[in-house]
Amino acid sequence: MKTFEVMDCALLMRMSGLAPAMNLRELRDRIAACGENVLYHHFCETTLRPTFDDPDYRNDFAAWTRLYLRDRVLAERLGIIDPYAFGTIEELRDAVLDIIDDRLGEVAMIPWVRLGDGFLFKEAITVIFDTGERIRDPRELAPAILRMTDGSIYYHFVEALRRPPVGKDDFSVWLLGAGDVYGQLIRSLGAIDFYFYSLARLRKEISLALTIAEVA
Amino acid sequence: MSIPLAEYEVIVGSSTLAQLRRLGERLAGLRVVHVSSTREMGGVAEKLEWMVPHLRDVGVDASWEVVHGDPLFFDITKAINNGLQGESVDLSKADWRIYQDVNEMNAGRLRPLLEDADIVVIHNPQPAGLLNFCPNRKGRWIWRAHIDISRQFRAVGRVFRTFVENYDASVFSMAEFAQPLPHPQFLIPPSIDPLSEKNRDLDPAELSSIRAEFGLDPDRPLIVQIARFDRFKDPMGVIKAYRLVRKATHVQLVLAGAGATNDLEGKAVLKDVLAAAAGDPDIHVLLLPMDAHKTINALQRLADIILRKSTREGFGLTVAEGMWKGKPVIGGDAGGIRLQVVNYHTGFLVCTPEGAAHRIRYLLHHRERISEMGGVAREFVRSNFLVTRQLRECLTLFFAIRSGEKSRTFQV
Repeated sequence: MKTFEVMDCALLMRMSGLAPAMNLRELRDRIAACGENVLYHHFCETTLRPTFDDPDYRNDFAAWTRLYLRDRVLAERLGIIDPYAFGTIEELRDAVLDIIDDRLGEVAMIPWVRLGDGFLFKEAITVIFDTGERIRDPRELAPAILRMTDGSIYYHFVEALRRPPVGKDDFSVWLLGAGDVYGQLIRSLGAIDFYFYSLARLRKEISLALTIAEVA
Repeated sequence: MSIPLAEYEVIVGSSTLAQLRRLGERLAGLRVVHVSSTREMGGVAEKLEWMVPHLRDVGVDASWEVVHGDPLFFDITKAINNGLQGESVDLSKADWRIYQDVNEMNAGRLRPLLEDADIVVIHNPQPAGLLNFCPNRKGRWIWRAHIDISRQFRAVGRVFRTFVENYDASVFSMAEFAQPLPHPQFLIPPSIDPLSEKNRDLDPAELSSIRAEFGLDPDRPLIVQIARFDRFKDPMGVIKAYRLVRKATHVQLVLAGAGATNDLEGKAVLKDVLAAAAGDPDIHVLLLPMDAHKTINALQRLADIILRKSTREGFGLTVAEGMWKGKPVIGGDAGGIRLQVVNYHTGFLVCTPEGAAHRIRYLLHHRERISEMGGVAREFVRSNFLVTRQLRECLTLFFAIRSGEKSRTFQV
């Protein structure tokens, strides 16, 4: 079994260059046209940037729709979207557009916001680096996870889902390297419904899942 | 005096410091020069006072220079600053010529250093003209805007744009502050220093002393707004909210702000505030010196609830300062306050004096919510608004700008 190389990452936000959306139709049109990195940021990177740990909605579109567009129906429909349930960002985009198009067909007036409250399209750049820390034995994994930064948790458990092998976190992939021995641990990791957790909470949940599975 | 980075470990944890050091190791020896207009008072100087030593602490070869100019130059740059923030100002061609000339004169002095640096960070409008006078620059140049230029006075914005559009990148404190420019625009929110005089822990004797100095009653609730006397900070609205609360609860109010002697509008607002507070011994209007950091710290710690009832706001970093002291903040639904006050969690966002009064009364009648919200607020600041987060983003910016990388992720 290879050693596990603990990586870390740091994120920096930047403007996407798209004009702000001042109403629902503009939001729809900008989402249709924006780059994949923009969608990825507003759905997936929200936990890694400066943010409140326990927001009403985890993705920015739902939060803006609720707070500024004041359309609770649409906010709820957007808020339940789990971006990791889609194979690609394009599939995610299609699903978001379907929801917004349905809503545009329901409302009598296009909801709009005041000047200064428009949706600002952002993206981010993420720098990845090796921490130099190594895990040699799966029994070391749970305590090591508790020492990891939010960046490491994000990189190995969340960001990993988009890297080959797609849909697998790095810890599970590493444990798989030992054959079937750690099947219970891998199943425990796979059972974590992480999308609504902060990274601090996710760190505890991963460590707890591994500890319980080891005991079992 | 700078505080060693290691001293932050008790506040942010060893893994956060290790992360900064690892990022710094990969930038070891990178020559970064910051240029601002002054080493004296002001938000930029306060920031660079900790930023430059911390960058050096993690391995970056950082230095800090200031531009020199006569009073006329600084009058002109103040007008540029005001114009970029939306004020209608009259700047002639001769004024812009002086702006360029002084930048050229400074470039003559700083050119070898700036042209040789790997990264140059120019803070705010005053030194922005330097770039045009450093034609043989080897490194990347970043314009760091600490002000809100989203609603600029066009006549000023149009000319000023010509000075910054050739930069390699710009950095804004909030997305709302940014303006379209032909280069990447990064976002780095400001932060507070938990070990500074304004935010460090104070012992009970220090708190008692300041309570006594201002005649505050320890047995009655205290509401505090720390903000300069400016109409957009709505001090009159705060007094109105206090009076609405006062009908039910015998609260005390402190309105404290540092004042600049040449701020004519501030003087007018202060006069109105003093008139409105006249005859009420429980309204304490305090015009503090610019360096009254410990007093501000103590007033925030003595408060039961902190207000920042702005109707228009830049980032409003005193919100984070108040939250760091474990207090809920009732803030105006404007600008950067929205990023800091998470409604119902770290405080309340309000639009009117009536709204502020309502939330004050709610909290005073649910004292347990004050400590609950205050606790959440402090942790929210710990994770998001301390200098260590800003330092990490600054290092990340250096990687991004140095590499010119356009992909979403890259390994260093």
